[in-house]
Amino acid sequence: MTSQYIINQLVNGLCQGFIYALVALGVAVIIGIVGFATFTQGEVVMIGAYTSFYVFTSAGNHLVLGLLASFATTWILGMLIYKVCYEHFLDAPEHISLLCTIGFSMLLKNLATIVFGVEKKPMLDIINNKIYHFGPIQVTKVQLVIMATVLIVCLILVLVFTKTNLGIRLKAVSQNREAAALVGINVKTTAMVGNCIGCAMAGIAGTLIGIYYQSAYATMGSTLSMKAFTSATLGGLTDVPLSALGGVLIGIMENLGIAFTSASYRDIFSFGFLIIMLLFKPNGFAKKRGGSRA
Amino acid sequence: MKRKTWRKSLALVMSTTMILALAGCGSEGSDNSSQPSDSGTTDSAEADGDFKGTIKFGLVAPITGAHAEYGQGFDAATQIAAEEINAAGGINGYRIEIEVQDSAADAKTSSDIFTRFAEDDEIMAVIGDFTSSCCMADAPIADEYGLVLLSPTASDPSYTGMSDYCFTVMYNQRDAAPWYASAVYDHYLGIDNYVCMYLNTDWGNSTYSYVSAALEEQGIECLASEAYAENETDFSSVISKLSAAGSDTIIILDQGNLPTIINQIKNSGWDPLVTSIGPGASDQILEQCGDNANGLILVTPSYITANNDETAEFCNKFYAINGCAPTDHAVCAYNCVYMLKAAIENIGDGELTRSAIRDALATATYDGMTGHIEFNDEGGVTREQLIMSVENGAWVIEENYGYE
Repeated sequence: MTSQYIINQLVNGLCQGFIYALVALGVAVIIGIVGFATFTQGEVVMIGAYTSFYVFTSAGNHLVLGLLASFATTWILGMLIYKVCYEHFLDAPEHISLLCTIGFSMLLKNLATIVFGVEKKPMLDIINNKIYHFGPIQVTKVQLVIMATVLIVCLILVLVFTKTNLGIRLKAVSQNREAAALVGINVKTTAMVGNCIGCAMAGIAGTLIGIYYQSAYATMGSTLSMKAFTSATLGGLTDVPLSALGGVLIGIMENLGIAFTSASYRDIFSFGFLIIMLLFKPNGFAKKRGGSRA
Repeated sequence: MKRKTWRKSLALVMSTTMILALAGCGSEGSDNSSQPSDSGTTDSAEADGDFKGTIKFGLVAPITGAHAEYGQGFDAATQIAAEEINAAGGINGYRIEIEVQDSAADAKTSSDIFTRFAEDDEIMAVIGDFTSSCCMADAPIADEYGLVLLSPTASDPSYTGMSDYCFTVMYNQRDAAPWYASAVYDHYLGIDNYVCMYLNTDWGNSTYSYVSAALEEQGIECLASEAYAENETDFSSVISKLSAAGSDTIIILDQGNLPTIINQIKNSGWDPLVTSIGPGASDQILEQCGDNANGLILVTPSYITANNDETAEFCNKFYAINGCAPTDHAVCAYNCVYMLKAAIENIGDGELTRSAIRDALATATYDGMTGHIEFNDEGGVTREQLIMSVENGAWVIEENYGYE
């Protein structure tokens, strides 16, 4: 087992991790910032991928157009998810809205199978995928685009949630809805906007993941959803950058594990890593767990 | 009051949408099951009133889930066969109906469905399931109730031996492996070594064990092999592992993931000879891989295309229903209906019972799009295969049936 092989697997893990981080960003926003439990994120990623597929098919391989279309579509989907799964259950126990998101996820997946069909939709050559060599490290253009997107989106989200009125209102709503209402915050609108931001992040993720794996299909979000939730858990369910870090570490752990054992054990490494981390740090990488309603 | 009315309206709309969606998931199957007057009978047949009655078959297949593509292919293909048979006057004057149920390729669900079929006296035989695991879960029930289970795609060699009522029209890898090793990899490709990646399922593991043993007997060395989970989407770590082994040939034992794997191999910068056993030579591979598929070598029992006179009609009908090209799996399901037709025709005026169908099926024959079908003593079949390649985005038959 040469050092080149280990480096290749590390790079694979890093790239895989950034894909998990891409989806985890949206999960972290919805769970950590807005305070809603969600199991729809994988299916929102799928809708984002399909949206960009149809944009690329009808209007040509314009990446920015595809991203904008996915962003808009999944923002609107976020509004629908909020109306169906959250708005009427704001004062109900959390498991009610959680169950609702599980049902909505199953509904979306089966509707996608009926509407879009069961076969995979090809997303070939959207980006001219060159391979770059940096010494022993080999990365593709698509992988670099995904890494850059995660870093830029993280930065933007941190700025929004810490430096803008919207971000402060979101945090207030997630900490105590009654108190937020008392100080004049429109809780429903603010929560909806937060959910839409998280879903729009998933839409962007869907476009890039579809380009990376070169296909869109109805079940593409299922596995990603669990890994994204795991990543957000490692981030303490509160912090967007730490959730992205969690995703990257999960990707690295998976691929290093595969390098020395078998690809069949991928999930053992990712979820085993999660369990071990939580045993030693129950709040993940965060200093304290947040995102729960008072 | 207005808000309550709005909430109730929204709840009603969402409930209706969910019910329609769930009905839609199952309606594709049930549409061709309980509407005798709509299931493809011609005006002449209806006008003649020659149908003495109805013979019902069950179809258990993964209409939803990871294998939905194949299950829906079964549904469409059996529907086409039923319509053709009914349009031609049925079987011995009986119209056939097919009741479809969704197993989602889950063995427990499949066995529950098969039990329901078995307890329904109207069901005379069952076509399905897709995976060997599901078929092997159904086999004891088939034996207990004496109901034929005719699978289009079960390839585990131990399946048909589980009951006299178990049949399959899919060849099994145990019998095909020696031919792969000698004819394809030794004689045709002339390779000395290979690396292999395969599905970590019953089919993948058994196929790998047979193929690797046969290649070893042929003196072809395996430099590395890697199993992966069925729901795997990122193969980069597997590809890195195999490319580091130093072989110029990769054997991929998979079905639905082949296009994804091919694309990721090409994107990794590794350029081996890509060969595959498992998927049929479908246009979907070409659509999903584009130029990446050029150079692919595929071993397949059939080549179903709209350009082939023998298969064009079926292809066009299938496309009209499913919106995509058929795979070999769908053709096998189509063949199953015609095998049951052949069996029932052999019964003639005799009493039509489940055991009579079983006995007649064991000796039935059918010559169709994929050649001659006849069961061996174990209820399985032997099929000749083609060696195909992709050149300039199109399938090419490199070696025809009978190549040694």
